[in-house]
Amino acid sequence: MNVVGKSVPLIDAGAKATGAMEFVSDLNLPRMLTGKILRSPLPHARIVSIDTGRAKSVPGVAAVLTARDAPSYTFGPSKASPDWEILARSEVRFIGEEVAAVAATDPDAAEEALSLIKVEYEELPSVFDAFEALQPGAPLARSDKESNLVFRFFVEKGSVDQAFQESDLIIEDTFITNQVYQAYMETTCCVAAPDSDGRLKMWLPTQAPFICRLTYSKALGMPEEKIHTIQIPAGGAFGGKMESNLHIIAGLLARNTGKPVRIVNSREEDFTAGNPRVPMRIDLKIGFKSDGTIHAKQVRIYAGNGGRTVHAPGVLATACYRIDSLYRIKNLRNEGLLAYTNTVPTSAYRGFGNSQMIFAIETLLDMAAEKLGQDAGDLRVKNAYQGGEVTVHGWKITSCGLPECVEKVKSAASWTEKKKNKIPGRGLGLACTNHVSGNSAFFPDFHGSAAMVRVSREGRATVFSGEADTGQGIRTVMAQVAAEVLGLKIEDVLVAPLDSDLVPYGLGTWATRGTVNAGKAVQAAAGDARRQLIEFAAGLLGAEAAKVEMDNGFFMAKDNPGSKIKFSDVCEKAVYQRAGSPIIGQGFFVPDTVTPDPVTKYGNQSPVYPFGAHLAEVEVDQETGRVTILDYHAAHDVGKAINPIQTHGQIQGGVAQAVGWALMEDMVTAGGKVQNPNFLDYRIPTFADLPQVNSLLVEPVDPVGPYGAKGIGEPALNPGAAAVLNAIYDATGVRIKELPASQEKVLRGIKSRVQGGSQGAGKN
Amino acid sequence: MRQTVPLQIEVNGQEYSLTIPPDRRLIDLLREDLGLTGTKEGCGAGECGACSVFLNGNLVNSCLVLAVEASGGKVLTIEGVARGEELHPVQESFIRNGAIQCGFCTPGMVLSAIDLLRNNPGPTERQVREGMSGNLCRCTGYGNIVKAVLEASGAKK
Repeated sequence: MNVVGKSVPLIDAGAKATGAMEFVSDLNLPRMLTGKILRSPLPHARIVSIDTGRAKSVPGVAAVLTARDAPSYTFGPSKASPDWEILARSEVRFIGEEVAAVAATDPDAAEEALSLIKVEYEELPSVFDAFEALQPGAPLARSDKESNLVFRFFVEKGSVDQAFQESDLIIEDTFITNQVYQAYMETTCCVAAPDSDGRLKMWLPTQAPFICRLTYSKALGMPEEKIHTIQIPAGGAFGGKMESNLHIIAGLLARNTGKPVRIVNSREEDFTAGNPRVPMRIDLKIGFKSDGTIHAKQVRIYAGNGGRTVHAPGVLATACYRIDSLYRIKNLRNEGLLAYTNTVPTSAYRGFGNSQMIFAIETLLDMAAEKLGQDAGDLRVKNAYQGGEVTVHGWKITSCGLPECVEKVKSAASWTEKKKNKIPGRGLGLACTNHVSGNSAFFPDFHGSAAMVRVSREGRATVFSGEADTGQGIRTVMAQVAAEVLGLKIEDVLVAPLDSDLVPYGLGTWATRGTVNAGKAVQAAAGDARRQLIEFAAGLLGAEAAKVEMDNGFFMAKDNPGSKIKFSDVCEKAVYQRAGSPIIGQGFFVPDTVTPDPVTKYGNQSPVYPFGAHLAEVEVDQETGRVTILDYHAAHDVGKAINPIQTHGQIQGGVAQAVGWALMEDMVTAGGKVQNPNFLDYRIPTFADLPQVNSLLVEPVDPVGPYGAKGIGEPALNPGAAAVLNAIYDATGVRIKELPASQEKVLRGIKSRVQGGSQGAGKN
Repeated sequence: MRQTVPLQIEVNGQEYSLTIPPDRRLIDLLREDLGLTGTKEGCGAGECGACSVFLNGNLVNSCLVLAVEASGGKVLTIEGVARGEELHPVQESFIRNGAIQCGFCTPGMVLSAIDLLRNNPGPTERQVREGMSGNLCRCTGYGNIVKAVLEASGAKK
C-alpha cells in the first residue's frame, strides 16, 4: 500500500506549526461581541431575585440575560434524564452553574456588567458524595426531583451466588476512582452569529457537532435546519467536548443581540464548570478457581452525576459491564447507581467508565495473582476472550491480539529476569484492557458512518464526512484512505470543512469510533468514485470496465497495456463531457452492531474491539514516597495502524494522562468548590514526569476494520493507572486502591508497613 | 473614557504605533490588536506556556507581560519564525516527527524549543525534558516532541 500504513504528517501539521490554523477563540467576526457568564457561587440555593438594572447600563453592554430571557424547553444530552436549563430558573445545583449572561463590545465592559448583577440566593442543604447522596435521609441535591437517584444499571447472568460458593478464592474490595479533568489545552468556547438567512450559525470545537445540533435545537426551540453548525478542529477534547451549555448561551446572546458573540472559558472556569470524569466507588468481588479462572463477579458502583446530567449514565453502564467482554465471565451481577450531587456535572473522559473499572479489576487481578502464586500476565491471558468468540453479552470478538500485547510488554521490560532479581525500591506492574470502536448503546438509533468523495477535473479529491477532528488526526486518516483507494498522493486529497450544510450526518468522534467508522465510510465512498472513473475510462479506452485497471496515475486496459490514459485526463474529460458534473462517490458503513436489549443488555455493541497491555517500571523513594517512572511499555492491538507515527502518538498521549491520574491529578473539593482550578495546583504531567514511552503496535489485521484497523484513543489510557499502582505495590508492598497514588499516600503506606500497621490505603 | 497610553512596538520585524489601555496584556495586544492569533492562551496564569513569545530575545509568557513592558521592544511570535515559505528546522522537525496533534500547544512549544537550542545546541534528552517542562501538552505525551527537538539539534537518538 502506498499511503495507508505509512507514517505521514497530519494534513494540517504545517498550519499548526506556523500558527496559521485558526481555533474557535481565534475567530474574529465584524462587530463581534464578547460574551461572559455569571456563575453560581453556591452549590445549592434557591434564586430569590436577580437584578440586572445596573449591569445593563454599563457602556458597551449589548445584552444582560437571565432565565426570563431564555426559552424553557425540556432538554439535555441524556434522553433518560433531560434536566438542563440554559440559565438557572429558580435554583442552582452546583458551583459554576450558569445564572446570567452578558454580551458587550469588549471584555472589560462584560466583566464590569457581570460584577454589577445582583443575585440574592437562599442557600439549601447540599450533598457532595454519591454514596452519601443515596443513603436514607440525605438532602435532595435538586428540589425538582424526588430522589437523588438519577439512574440505576443492573444486569445479572448465570448463577452468581452458586458460583461464589464454588470458588476457591474470593477477593472482595473497594476501589475509588477520583474525579479528574481532561485538561485539554484549548478551553471550552464558541462563536455564534445570526446569519443573513435567518439561521443561527455556530462555530463549535466539539467532538459531535450533529449531536450538539439536536440538543441545541431542543434547548433554543428552533428546528434543527435553522441551526447551521461549523465544527472547527478542537484543541484537544478527550470526551469533554460534547454538548456544552456555553455553546447554547452564545447562541442565545447572538439571537438576542443580532450580532456575533464569542464566549471563551477562562481556565479556572473550565476547571470548575467543565465536564470532568465520573467519580466512582467500586465495590468489586471476584471468585476464582484455584487454576486462576474467574468464576464469579459481583460489582456495585456508586457514581457521582453532578448537579445535572451529561453522559454519566452511559459512563456508569460501561463501567458495570464492559470488562465482561474482556475476560470470560459467565456468572455476574452488576449494579450501578448514579446519584445527583451538588457538584459540577460529570461526563465522558477517555475511557468512559471502562477506565474506572479497569483500574479496579486490574488491581484486583494483581492481588489474585499474588494469592494464587501465578504470573500476573498469564492470569490475564488465561481469562481473556479470544478472536472468534462471542462474549456473555453477545459481543463478537472478531480478533484479539491481547496475548501478544502481554508478551511484548513483558519481553520489552525484561519482566521475568527483573522479577527474579528484585532491586529494592523498584517494581514492575502490569495491566490489560479491552475497549470498543463505537458504542451502539450511546446513540441507539444510528450505527456507522457515511462519506462522500468528490473528484475534481484536475484529478484531486475532497472528502466529506461528519466525523470531527479534535487533534487525534481523523481528517488525516480519511485523507489517507481516500488517497489509497484512488491511487493519489495525500497532498492531492482535501478534507472538506465539517459544515452541516455540506457533509453527511455524523455521530462524531467518541467511543474510539473514528478510524473504524469514518475509515470504512471513506473507503466505500472512494471506492464508488473509483468505480465511476474506471467506467468512464473504459469508455475512453474502448474497453470493458471489468478489464480496466488503475495504476500509478494511469488507467489502462489489461489486454492492451500500451493504450493508457492519465488519471487527471480522465477526470478532466469526465467533468467537461458531462457539463461540469464532478465525480461524486458515496459510501457508508453499517456495522454489524445492534442496540443492546434494554433489560438483558445483550447485543454486539461495536464493530471491532481493541485490546492492550501496559507495563510500568517504577522506583519509589522510601524517604519521600516519590514515585519515578523509570520505564513504560504499552502494547496495543490496533488491528492495523493506518498512520503508525500518529498511532504511537495516541498511545503516548494516553499513557501520559494515565500517569497523571495515577500519581498526581485530583480535583480537590471542599463544600462543592474546586480548590485547585489551575495548572499550578492541579498537576498534569510535564515533559519531566515521564520517560520516553515504549509504545508497541500489535496488528492482527482485523477482518472487519478498514484495512484491518481498530481504534486506539481510549484503550491507550485505560490500563495505565493500574499498571503504575501495581508497580508501586511491587516496589513497596503498599497497595493503594484509591486514586491518585499521591506522594503522601505512598509515604503513609510505606511508614505504616514499617511500623507493622495496616497495609495500604483507601478501603472504606 | 478609559485611560490609554501610546505604545511603539516591533513585532516580527514590523513597527507598530498603537494606543492601548495601560493594563493591556501583551498576549491581547498580539492576538486582538494585531490579529496575530498564533499565540494561544491556555491558562492566563503563566502555567502552561502556550502563550510563549520572545521579547527582546528572552522567552516570556505573554499572558504575564503588560504590553507597556514591551514598549520600544522587539517581539517575535510564531508567525515570525518561518521565513516566508521556508519553515524553521524546528517546525520541520515537529511536522516530520509526529510532534503535533491538536496543535494548540505547538506555537509555544516551537518557540520554547528554539530558545532551548539557542542556549544549548546539543542537549541531552534529560535537558530537553527539563528545559521544556514549562510547556504543557495534553495530546502527545511529549515523546514525539522530544524526538523532534533532539533531531532538530542534530543529535542522533
